[in-house]
Amino acid sequence: METLKHLLNLLSDPRISFPILMILFFFIFPPTAWFEKWNKRLHFDRLWTPVGGLVMHGLMLVALVAATLDPNFRLIVTKPDNVPIVILIFGSVYFLWLSMRQARDNDQRLEAGEKPDEYCDPKRRDILVWPDVLYIELIAMILCMAFIIIWSLYLQAPLEQPANPALAPNPAKAPWYFLALQEMLVYFDPWLAGVVFPTLIIVGLIALPYLDSDRAGSGFYSFSRRKLFISLFCFGWLLLWVYLIIVGTFLRGPNWNFFGPFEVWDAHKVVPMNNVNLSELIWIKLLHRPLPNSILLREAVGILGLLGYLFVLPPLLEKSALKRFAGQMGRMRYGLFMFLSLMGLLLPIKMILRWTLSLKYLVSIPGWFNI
Amino acid sequence: MGPEKKQKRNLADLIFKSVLWRSIFRTDIPTDKRGRMVTVLNNFFLHLHPVSIPRHAVKLKYTWLMGILATFLFFVLTITGILLMFYYRPTVQYAYNDVLDMAESTPLGVMREIHRWSAHLMVITVWLHMFRVFMTGSYKPPREFNWGVGVILLTLTMLLSFTGYLLPWDQLAIWAITVGSNMAAATPLVGREGPGSALLSIGDISLIGRTSDAKFMLLGDTRIAEGALLRFYVFHCVFFPFIIVMFMMVHFWRIRKDGGISGPA
Amino acid sequence: MRDDSKIKNETASTDSPTQGCGCGCKCGSRDGVTRLGFITCMVAGWATFTASVGGLGAMLLRFLAPNVDYEPSQSFSAGSPDDYTRGEVSTRWKDKYGVWIVRLEDRIVAVSTVCTHLGCTPNWLETEGKFKCPCHGSGFRKTGDNFEGPAPRPLERFKIWLNDEGGLEINKSIVFRGEKDEWSSPESYVSA
Repeated sequence: METLKHLLNLLSDPRISFPILMILFFFIFPPTAWFEKWNKRLHFDRLWTPVGGLVMHGLMLVALVAATLDPNFRLIVTKPDNVPIVILIFGSVYFLWLSMRQARDNDQRLEAGEKPDEYCDPKRRDILVWPDVLYIELIAMILCMAFIIIWSLYLQAPLEQPANPALAPNPAKAPWYFLALQEMLVYFDPWLAGVVFPTLIIVGLIALPYLDSDRAGSGFYSFSRRKLFISLFCFGWLLLWVYLIIVGTFLRGPNWNFFGPFEVWDAHKVVPMNNVNLSELIWIKLLHRPLPNSILLREAVGILGLLGYLFVLPPLLEKSALKRFAGQMGRMRYGLFMFLSLMGLLLPIKMILRWTLSLKYLVSIPGWFNI
Repeated sequence: MGPEKKQKRNLADLIFKSVLWRSIFRTDIPTDKRGRMVTVLNNFFLHLHPVSIPRHAVKLKYTWLMGILATFLFFVLTITGILLMFYYRPTVQYAYNDVLDMAESTPLGVMREIHRWSAHLMVITVWLHMFRVFMTGSYKPPREFNWGVGVILLTLTMLLSFTGYLLPWDQLAIWAITVGSNMAAATPLVGREGPGSALLSIGDISLIGRTSDAKFMLLGDTRIAEGALLRFYVFHCVFFPFIIVMFMMVHFWRIRKDGGISGPA
Repeated sequence: MRDDSKIKNETASTDSPTQGCGCGCKCGSRDGVTRLGFITCMVAGWATFTASVGGLGAMLLRFLAPNVDYEPSQSFSAGSPDDYTRGEVSTRWKDKYGVWIVRLEDRIVAVSTVCTHLGCTPNWLETEGKFKCPCHGSGFRKTGDNFEGPAPRPLERFKIWLNDEGGLEINKSIVFRGEKDEWSSPESYVSA
């Protein structure tokens, strides 16, 4: 048991779990035909069968119950404010399974030349809103209210000590729905993580229907018709949002250090975090020279790399690997799509660079611009 | 027996055929198809729905009911929120004790719990609603604008939740707001700590300083104090609810205008 | 059509030429609408519109920032330099004034307790000899220099000086920032 707990503590460290999940993800949600081939070969699509769903949820439930037996995990999971996160975890997995199961069914129908399950023959009568739809809604609302009342009677809303500006609790956490943003703050400066990225998330979401505007896949669950967009959206939603919320809730302890789910939250855990800038890595470690005085020269690699990543890479890909895709999308759409995707990918890239090279900033011009 | 029976019928008639009842409900209790359609058409609240919808849209596995539940939770939150306002004073001196007292001094003492858990649940339902709309491809033309309205509603839901977080004036609240408001200070150009704020200056006088940047405008103070509490109270109870109701009306109206619930062509 | 225009011309001709839309341009003059008059009117109209809407917006925004900031006094006395031993980080004034008095090898400095990342209050960890912020894990050395975590710059130092009786005085409204090389300023420390 103890060895298993140690193993889980080790595996849950985002430095290990994130890369594993990231690679697995694209085989489970294949964005291209090549990934799809492997997805079929590894039978990942069986996750979306009733048996797959049962196994998935059964495992989650067993894991939760077993983990709750551990005193350290119980301390965190039974906090009243963490109940919504358990609901979120089970909810997001259940509804993911529900939608992917219907998508899988519909894809098989489409392949066989049939219409999707949602299709109704125009000759068949529609359903009257009074009383059928209204009954469903009424019952749903009553059940929802009953659920909330029971929850409220059972769990008291938390109230901590009175506000004390001199004493920050350790760890000091944002509300759970902002924990993904708080996690970004570890890797980027506040103006990026707190202002630019949230704005880009909102803009990117609003822009989504204008990028994925092919009407063919509208109005029914389907994966094969919209592989790329479902894969990218679920990457953002599951890995960069829900996963980071889980990390922020269960794995971030005192001093914002990582702690395994079964580890004691020791405020004096020593974690070396001596981060260095890219300029120091290149000039001092690689070229064995002192940092040049000119800021532009010092940060040249970072600046050129960043500009190249954002503005040279898309046109290059447009001419080569993504030629057909760019042709279908059109100039404007392709440009916006690439910009938003590359900005989104900056987060996992920076996370991995931080874990492997202890990188602090790619470009660091103090007082002006740090990224 | 005869006259009694007659009187009974008259009582029902007295209510349902009365001038008062007929002035409120123009249609009879529906017994046939026409009546059912007219009931939905003639009722202000029911006419958010069309009179009939396609068969697939009634299936729970298609819609998940997340939209209607999010709306329902918003109304639960509005009502419980108004009730909570009777027992809460947004000042540094009173806020914490008022919240502490609430559990004891109010009947049943669960109003704050209902408010808080409903708020958490609303955030989740709004996320899952968005996920459903994405997975069914329902945001595609002609519904792309309404998706944008939905994204704004999602943002407003989280802002409402966040502003409510400060009001108990406990440790949880003050540090969440400290971090949140310092992000405002990090806004490019208009935040004191943000990149480019040094550019906004006339000669030696900086336009963006401690008492003139985005953070100061948000809090009305340089510290998290009285001004911040009052502002977040007004944001939470008046400003954001007002804005979100506006966007909700547009959102519902556009569902109908964009062709009702999505479905395969 | 022709009749209409005739009537229009006639009514226009009864007006005196100086009458117009009131802005002095000639859009309502006897010749009807001239190209120049139209453009002038449009420019004037839109300029007025933009100015009023912009002015209103600026007023509303400005209203959010009050003129008076009821901050408690920013200056305080922190006792005698001898109260602090060499190498000590004193948390005596942390709760009341948000200041750590740090006695380094050759000087005493007043360090702000506000983390330069997002404004949380770091804790002084005596055993590890560093300030550690609980919010996002920023770490600072005794001097205030940032060396780990996301903090972009060192902790700020406040103006500190000796009064006539030889006691320490601190003024929090004057700030010295390490990344701008302001720590060499003699006002930012007391030699001891």
